[in-house]
Amino acid sequence: MRIVNPSFGLSLAGTEQVTTRPVDWLNDPIVLFTNSKPNAHALLAGIREKLAGVRRIDNIEFASKDSASQPAPAATIDEISGKYRVALLALAD
Amino acid sequence: MEKRGVTSLVVATETFRPLVLAQAKARKVTPKLVVVKHPVGGLNAAELAARIEQAMVGLKEVMGK
Amino acid sequence: MSDIEATEIIDVGDLDGEAWTDYAIAQGWSDGMPLAVPSEAAVERFTAIARGDNEPFPPISPSRLIPTLQSLAANAVMAGCRPEYFPVVLAALRGVLTPDYNLHGTLATTHPCAPMLLVSGPIRRQLAINYSSNCFGQGNRANATIGRALELILLNVGGAKPGIMDRATHGSPAKYSFCFGENEEESPWPPYHVRRGFAASDSVVTVMSGEAPHNINDHGSTTAEGILTTVAQTISQPGANVISGKGPLFIVLGPEHAQTLARDGWTIEAMQKDLFQRSRVHASRISTENQESYASMGRLPVDGHYHLTPTPEDFHMLVAGGPGKHSAYIPSFGGTAVCSVRVAASA
Repeated sequence: MRIVNPSFGLSLAGTEQVTTRPVDWLNDPIVLFTNSKPNAHALLAGIREKLAGVRRIDNIEFASKDSASQPAPAATIDEISGKYRVALLALAD
Repeated sequence: MEKRGVTSLVVATETFRPLVLAQAKARKVTPKLVVVKHPVGGLNAAELAARIEQAMVGLKEVMGK
Repeated sequence: MSDIEATEIIDVGDLDGEAWTDYAIAQGWSDGMPLAVPSEAAVERFTAIARGDNEPFPPISPSRLIPTLQSLAANAVMAGCRPEYFPVVLAALRGVLTPDYNLHGTLATTHPCAPMLLVSGPIRRQLAINYSSNCFGQGNRANATIGRALELILLNVGGAKPGIMDRATHGSPAKYSFCFGENEEESPWPPYHVRRGFAASDSVVTVMSGEAPHNINDHGSTTAEGILTTVAQTISQPGANVISGKGPLFIVLGPEHAQTLARDGWTIEAMQKDLFQRSRVHASRISTENQESYASMGRLPVDGHYHLTPTPEDFHMLVAGGPGKHSAYIPSFGGTAVCSVRVAASA
């Protein structure tokens, strides 16, 4: 019996090469990005405080999206990728 | 964000680990995950402190500290 | 542009009814119930009807796969649709693929939302879509299978696997199928799709990511004022996802409530404004922690109250259902939009 595969689909352009620059964990600026769910900010704030024992934290800053249920706007992603080398994202459900 | 050259680490609970992995697969990226116990929402300060400690263990591993 | 994720045609060997069911469920293709066999011949009957609909489909989240007409038809066949339902299924899919609908968010959320499909226009009668008694319920092939077909597409092509990509805490019975028609014949107001700018002769599918319907019972009120009080107080809930003006909602008026409201001179616009104000939730009914959370996202109370929707126009109102003193409330996921799509003419 021959059937049409109900999960069949075409994928977008093949595997994109993802290259990130080497990270200097002691000095590179880090963005702490929350999914805007309750406690996400508090979790990242606690991590930031703890990181003070390991590295400089004056260049570790927060960012968030307006809504937990919506994707981050392209402008926010643009801004982050221009300013930071590392992003720490919290999914706090 | 990795596609924009920003090294990205996701702190997620064990419950949401499969979601993060599946989303990454659909986007053809390899996620860097720091997994903590579920949940994070609804915890008080003391409970959240334990999650922060757990996240730091994973984070230090990634940082090579 | 593309590489092939899997084979479009599969030879599954000789399977009788029970073996087919077991096989299909083992593949993860089912909502838990048996499926019809998407044979090449059955799929061809569906795609033949949709040949005039040539606009390509965008990728479906979360898998980000681009569907083919055949794979979409296979899901409609499996759902138990008749071929002539397929253009409605495709219109519904185009609706949920509208960027503002936020398909990815609505599928991955812990909230119990499902795609609500409202069908307006002549195709309701052509396909015998139930818009009267028990229109949200069981017993009608078109309602049951059109909604189911969309769900199967999101599961199988979209990859919204429960427990993995679909992270709903409880989910909802509406995730099996949530499709109903508008009772234009008993509505005192212009049909919903006409108020959205379509022609009365158009057939239109409107989608919203919503909860299953909540009942609004009012047997006692004999005036519009009484019914609107009941509606406003029933929907004024702090635990709804829409709270603090986050998104749209539907009020589906039963025809008898609608007649009373119209008799007393109420227009749709006047009811939207009235309910927008009267369904506000006083800040004292919202926990301090939640108020802080809303404030962190810039959502603040107005005059000490939280609105349910951003504007009065986000109260979407129409008539559906049969005799009885009931109406229904369908709150949305919140971070979503109501999207209406004209059903393409069959080939």
